[in-house]
Amino acid sequence: MMNREFNFRLDELVIDQQEVAAVLGYDEGPLPEPFDSYLEQAMDESFGLTDIRAAYRIVDDIMVNEKEHLLMACGLAFKVGKTVCGELKGSQRLAFFICSAGKTISEKAEKLLKGEDPVLGYVYNVVGNAIAEAAGNRMQLFLKQAMEKSGDLITNRYSPGYCHWNVADQHKLFSLFPDSTCGVSLTSSALMQPVKSISGVIGIGRNVKYRAYPCELCSAANCIYRRTMHH
Amino acid sequence: MNELLGKLAACIEFGKVNLASPYPPHMKDQEGADEITRRALDGGVDPQDILYFGLMPGMERVGIKFRENRVFVPQVLMSARAMSTAMLHLKPYFLSGAARQKGTYIIGTVLGDLHDIGKNLVAMMVEGNGYKVVDLGTDVNSEKFIAAIKENTGAVVGLSALLTTTMVNMQHITSEIKKAVPETLVTIGGAPVNHDFCKKIGADFYAPDPQGVVEFLNKK
Ligand code: B1M
Repeated sequence: MMNREFNFRLDELVIDQQEVAAVLGYDEGPLPEPFDSYLEQAMDESFGLTDIRAAYRIVDDIMVNEKEHLLMACGLAFKVGKTVCGELKGSQRLAFFICSAGKTISEKAEKLLKGEDPVLGYVYNVVGNAIAEAAGNRMQLFLKQAMEKSGDLITNRYSPGYCHWNVADQHKLFSLFPDSTCGVSLTSSALMQPVKSISGVIGIGRNVKYRAYPCELCSAANCIYRRTMHH
Repeated sequence: MNELLGKLAACIEFGKVNLASPYPPHMKDQEGADEITRRALDGGVDPQDILYFGLMPGMERVGIKFRENRVFVPQVLMSARAMSTAMLHLKPYFLSGAARQKGTYIIGTVLGDLHDIGKNLVAMMVEGNGYKVVDLGTDVNSEKFIAAIKENTGAVVGLSALLTTTMVNMQHITSEIKKAVPETLVTIGGAPVNHDFCKKIGADFYAPDPQGVVEFLNKK
């Protein structure tokens, strides 16, 4: 078993500004006013964030049950569904993870969205989403480097709630971590707080394959990311 | 109709709030929804006409463009900002009864769920299309919905949810609403929801986007 926790600064993360601009509706060319200054403000402020965090826990008593589309880990049965099971095929160990852009940006976005300036709030919201994903990317890279030392490969990351993996399994996933890991808690309806957080699992093994996460894997027809040109 | 109302519709469509606002770039240094609404009222245009022939057509165009992915959330929010600036001028007329909205729509994100961007967009679009909106916020239980329905006779209800773990609460809320005030129409929406789920829980309408809700309300 191996656990790691990280505290990231924004300048350690790679934020795809083009992706952020695309989600804001501007695929090409410069962002018009006021979005340019709003994005600059949200990014500048985010460089001061001290609560961007990530953690993973590697478990080795696991089994990928392809027949029943189950993932067994630490005596828990995760109903991950056919797609995720297929992607994790061949895993000898699993890394469960939690990542968060933190309370500061989650709350700032929410406050602005609810009152003062919803447009600016939405820009903070989109930047918060990008930070949560970027923290996930960084954590994944560190995991990959750590596993390479022992000759292991890793898969891409997969989350409860995607590809027919029931979000309710978040409760099982969180039971693998100490309370409030990365400052994240779970409501009874399986919602993570702070809201700009992600969780999931990564397969580890000699023969696992890393595959890009194509939108085709997902059944969400109305997803805002499907609407952007980069997916 | 009035040239001014055509201009007002364009301000709403493109999110031009006021003269000082630099957005959208192609309307920079032009008057916005704020000044034009004021001017229309001062020039004697009926507030009802301002709503019906200025604001509503503008918002309808935004709803359609959003559905067709020709504009995104921020542009809709700019339009909503322009709309609410204009509505500030109209508010006294709604209060006095000199102008009337088309009906009432009660909306909330269901119990257990705290997502509200989608719900807010629906609320803005419905309001922009001439309805009074009662926004109950997030994490709303059936009791709160029922109390609001009793206060707003004939209102249509909208339930929003973003996770499969919380959309299940729509079923209980819908059946409680139907038990308490059977004639109430319940509309549902949100990322994991679909038409089959709507049928299964006994709700009346599923809309994948805000414009769908508007079209449903306009038809009834
Ligand atoms: C009453 O009538 C109506 C009618 C229409 C109605 C309506 C009511 N209510 C809404 N609508 C409709 O109109 C609105 C305007 O078009 C729309 O409202 P929306 O609220 O859907 O749209 C907003 C305006 C913009 N949409 C959004 O802001 C959400 C976009 C998507 C891509 C998304 C994002 C950005 C994020 N997420 Co996540 N996320 C997804 C989303 C997929 C999608 N919907 O595109 C969704 C919601 N997420 C999902 C999941 C699973 C998760 N996410 C998570 C995390 C994240 C990020 C942090 C990366 C980020 C921010 C999340 C946040 N809450 O702020 C996790 C949970 C986070 C938490 N706090 O618990 C996590 C659980 C994954 C994980 N394990 O880490 C999925 C939920 C599905 C499910 N099974 O429940 C999901 C649908 C994606 C998917 N492809 O499956 C329509 O739905």
